[in-house]
Amino acid sequence: MKFKLSGKSIQAVVLGTLGILSFFIIWQLTCIFTKFGTIFPTPPEVAAGMIRGFIEPIGSVTLLGHIGISLGRVLVGYTLSSVLGTLVGLLMGASRLGKAILYPIFNIIKPIPGIAWIPIAIMWLGIGNATIYFIIFVGGFSQMVMNVMSGASNVDQELVGVARVLGLKKNHVFLTIILPSCVPYIFTGLQVSLSTSWMAVLAAEMITATSGCGWLILAGMQSGIMLNNVLGMIAIGFIGLVLATLMRMLERRLCSWKERN
Amino acid sequence: MEGKKLNGNESVVRLENLKKSFEINGEDVQIINGINLDIKKNEFIVLFGAGQCGKTTLLKMIAGLEDITDGNIYINDKKSSGFNEDVGMVYQTTALFPWLSVMGNVEFGPKHRGAAKSERRKKAQYYIDLVGLSGFEKHFPVQLSGGMQQRVGIARAYANDPEIILMDEPFGHLDAQTRYLMEEDVEKIWAREKRTVIFVTNNIEEALYLADRIIILTECPATVMKEYVIDLPRPRSMVSEEFLRLREEISRLADARESEAG
Repeated sequence: MKFKLSGKSIQAVVLGTLGILSFFIIWQLTCIFTKFGTIFPTPPEVAAGMIRGFIEPIGSVTLLGHIGISLGRVLVGYTLSSVLGTLVGLLMGASRLGKAILYPIFNIIKPIPGIAWIPIAIMWLGIGNATIYFIIFVGGFSQMVMNVMSGASNVDQELVGVARVLGLKKNHVFLTIILPSCVPYIFTGLQVSLSTSWMAVLAAEMITATSGCGWLILAGMQSGIMLNNVLGMIAIGFIGLVLATLMRMLERRLCSWKERN
Repeated sequence: MEGKKLNGNESVVRLENLKKSFEINGEDVQIINGINLDIKKNEFIVLFGAGQCGKTTLLKMIAGLEDITDGNIYINDKKSSGFNEDVGMVYQTTALFPWLSVMGNVEFGPKHRGAAKSERRKKAQYYIDLVGLSGFEKHFPVQLSGGMQQRVGIARAYANDPEIILMDEPFGHLDAQTRYLMEEDVEKIWAREKRTVIFVTNNIEEALYLADRIIILTECPATVMKEYVIDLPRPRSMVSEEFLRLREEISRLADARESEAG
């Protein structure tokens, strides 16, 4: 296998590492020389806490358990918002009647952030997973609808004509032309709504859960164990990064026709 | 002006007093004003006009992409309305499906007309080879040059087996060198495959190089101004005496038309 490192990329790696190192050094020094250290763990303590967290439970489950629980909740809410958001977006983008009926009400609901729905959701669905799914769903849904709708209403009408001249039947236009034209827009929606969903699960867990990364952060603060708070934050950052990267890889595979090699 | 009447039995496309107007700001603007034309089987017809008026619309009407305001279009003696499986089209903008590979684009027509996979693959491959794109079957349009994209467009039109192929300034966006190569290739393919071609251009050399018959259209609204039967031997030399003489003559006609319109 060939692996080439140009001068520029070596420089980038060195500088990047330098930045990360100085962050930890400043953190460590702050803990040693200021009052901050009396309640806040140092980097080595966090590292040790993380290893311990993977073995011993924090609250009901281990750190890995909390991550798994949050991911599971996101998966349910995100899948719901992706599927329904795509369908509604297609309906609004491809059908004039659909848009006429749905667009005004959608525009009223769209600016309300997912978190604002928490009290109503708790009243409707009680404290627990159903409410969390709902909050995640609300967060991702409008992002999805907006993107898919703009994709479906920007379909190149010339291509529809081209396809018809080539013999495509009218009732096949949707699946053969409109849907593939929308794929890049669907992916933009999936990407944006994934980060929204990940934020929504944390907010929801802080209020209505006894497990998950969001609960970890809040519980850490409330019980004065800042270590747990930091562990929750690290887990969130790491998972967010992994999810975004996975999504970008999938997009590169499915939308390769958009890019010039 | 009446188009010249050719042998009626052979007529593949017949335009009868064809008219088209669009409503623009509440006013009817006439684009095409009474075109009569008879096109024989396997004839290479070039519609020549310098203006922005009517040529693309005329092709779109024949393809079924635009409504007819007045008059008739007959294809194989049948009155045509809407899409017609005997008609294929090559577009100025190439208009390839960007999410489909070269193969996917070329086999699109046969696939959606219900051809079995092996059959349509074979046919698509034949035309991909014919336009010189062997080895590029799996490429996406965005990975190809402008000239190659237009070759895909030509293969796609032929692979659907239409009797009539409409070409709407297909080389308008290409550089001169590529354009010349494409003209040669279009002629070769036509000589080999036959088909009735209606080709729109505003380039005199291109018209003279390709046409059996050049139909010169007036400025807006478009009507037939004059037609030339070109019976120079093929492949044509662009510097032969007769070629240059015709070029001069048509060019003078086009200038006169423009100054009249202007």
